[in-house]
Amino acid sequence: MRAVRGVLHRATSGRVNGRSPAEQSAACALPEGLAARLAGVRVAFGTRQVLHDVHLDVPSGMTTVLIGRSGSGKSTLLRVLQRLNECLPGCTTTGRVLLRLDGRVVDAYSGAVGDPSWLRARMGMVFQSPDVLPLSIRRNMDMTLRHVLCLPETEVAPRMEEALREAALWDEVHDRLDENALGLSGGQQQRLCLARALALRPAFLLLDEPTASLDIASARAIEERITSLGHTRTVVMVSHGLRQALRLADNLVLVDAGRVVRVWNRHGAGLPDVAELEHHLED
Amino acid sequence: MRRCANLALWRIFVMVSMTVTLVGVAALLGVVLMRGLPALGPALLFGDVSPLAAMTGAVPVWDGIWPACAGTFALLMVALGLAVLPGIGCGIHLALFASPRTRVLLGLAVDLLAGVPSIVMGLFGFTLLLALRRTVAPDASTGLLLASVCLALLVLPVLVVTTRGALEALPAQLRLTGAALGLDTWGRLRHLLLPAAGRGILGGVLLAAGRAAEDTAVIMLTGVVASVGLPAGLGERFEALPFTIFYLSSQYRDAVELQRGFGAATVLLVLSLTLLAGAWLLQRVLERKWRGVLPVSHCQGTSEDIR
Repeated sequence: MRAVRGVLHRATSGRVNGRSPAEQSAACALPEGLAARLAGVRVAFGTRQVLHDVHLDVPSGMTTVLIGRSGSGKSTLLRVLQRLNECLPGCTTTGRVLLRLDGRVVDAYSGAVGDPSWLRARMGMVFQSPDVLPLSIRRNMDMTLRHVLCLPETEVAPRMEEALREAALWDEVHDRLDENALGLSGGQQQRLCLARALALRPAFLLLDEPTASLDIASARAIEERITSLGHTRTVVMVSHGLRQALRLADNLVLVDAGRVVRVWNRHGAGLPDVAELEHHLED
Repeated sequence: MRRCANLALWRIFVMVSMTVTLVGVAALLGVVLMRGLPALGPALLFGDVSPLAAMTGAVPVWDGIWPACAGTFALLMVALGLAVLPGIGCGIHLALFASPRTRVLLGLAVDLLAGVPSIVMGLFGFTLLLALRRTVAPDASTGLLLASVCLALLVLPVLVVTTRGALEALPAQLRLTGAALGLDTWGRLRHLLLPAAGRGILGGVLLAAGRAAEDTAVIMLTGVVASVGLPAGLGERFEALPFTIFYLSSQYRDAVELQRGFGAATVLLVLSLTLLAGAWLLQRVLERKWRGVLPVSHCQGTSEDIR
């Protein structure tokens, strides 16, 4: 009887293999090997169109770097993945954004998502300027561990240590977790932001010019972390430096005037050299 | 050359303004304290009744201002109890959730309410009482509750405006950071925005408390009397320090009574300072708890690269 009821329910609900029709459709539109697909994405702030009909595939387990001139829409494109643009006033986003999260394919802008906070918690974002909260280092980490993930007390400390180690910050701060995070250097603050994002164990790591406001040594430290993290998760970053982009990218995306102009793949046709990139940017 | 002269003039103007403010405050405090401090003592507060018996209400106090102190405290608690949550809630709504149209309309309503003179608010309270007596509450009378409601309406705009201002002054990046971390709307409000704006919001509560404690015009028409003892209930008449000061200073028969008026003014000042100190302490405790930062003496060392 229970089996009959189950069949009837699936027949009337349209679910196949536990998936709704919408999920089925989304899964079919995102091939294996891709972590995200943007199709026809348009973003406007009021009457100002920032992104025009963007189509982009983001491969899984690789580092995708967005480059382009200032004001080309790179950061806006990055924020599309985490639905952060809608936190800015006057923003409208249309188009389709498919994300592979925890083995499922999610249409990020569909009504089924509901409150997007759960989706944002599956991604870690690091902004251009270190945005540590004016709290202690421990309390900065607590934001994600206690208030977002709602971890039990016994899991908070080990998870915090894991994330700080992954961001190569643990050795520098383990004995002063209750000091104000604003007292850290710029590089340390940015690594704390990275650790805070990594504490979520995110499916995606989104980095918006993470080394732009840092000195060379700190920038190199961050780049090393990005390189090692790029082997284990999908990283999408905006870079302000062509050489940095060429060092880090598996997938290089040129954005200009709100459009994706060109995509290169290191493991396919290969990446261009600096001169060619500069030529494209000037064009 | 001209720029230097302009800057010098501005500096002089700022110094003069500062001096005028300081002199004004010093003069006010000086006069009140000089005349009021000699009157301070158990006799001012409790008359010829023992302090314990007076404070517990075992024996009524007719010659002291203790009933007025208790009445002011009760008025403050009820008025703030009625105004704080709606005021802060309205401020949060205006700052974070209201549509542009709502912001304009609701903002205008708050500004209009802020512009209502306190005597008009008192008249409103009196008229409200008459309407209640003619309709749903024929036994209604002036008392603590009516006065508190009117005071709550009077201080509501202060709470709304300071809360809204404190939240709007927060950097936009803070909201974006909260969203990027995966906090939902309530989480961002509870764990980030309200604690960060706490100082401003608490300042607004303090301003509202100060206004509620000192306003005389509203309570004159809604329940305060010169002498009735300790507050007996929400529907009963009560005494209050501002009215006592007004009564003593306008109806005094001799220098002693006038000095008692100054003594009452000093007590009101002390009450305001106590509120200020309490709010400062509360704000420090809450902020320390939110930030989770240990005091400097607990630090193991300093970072080499402190900005």
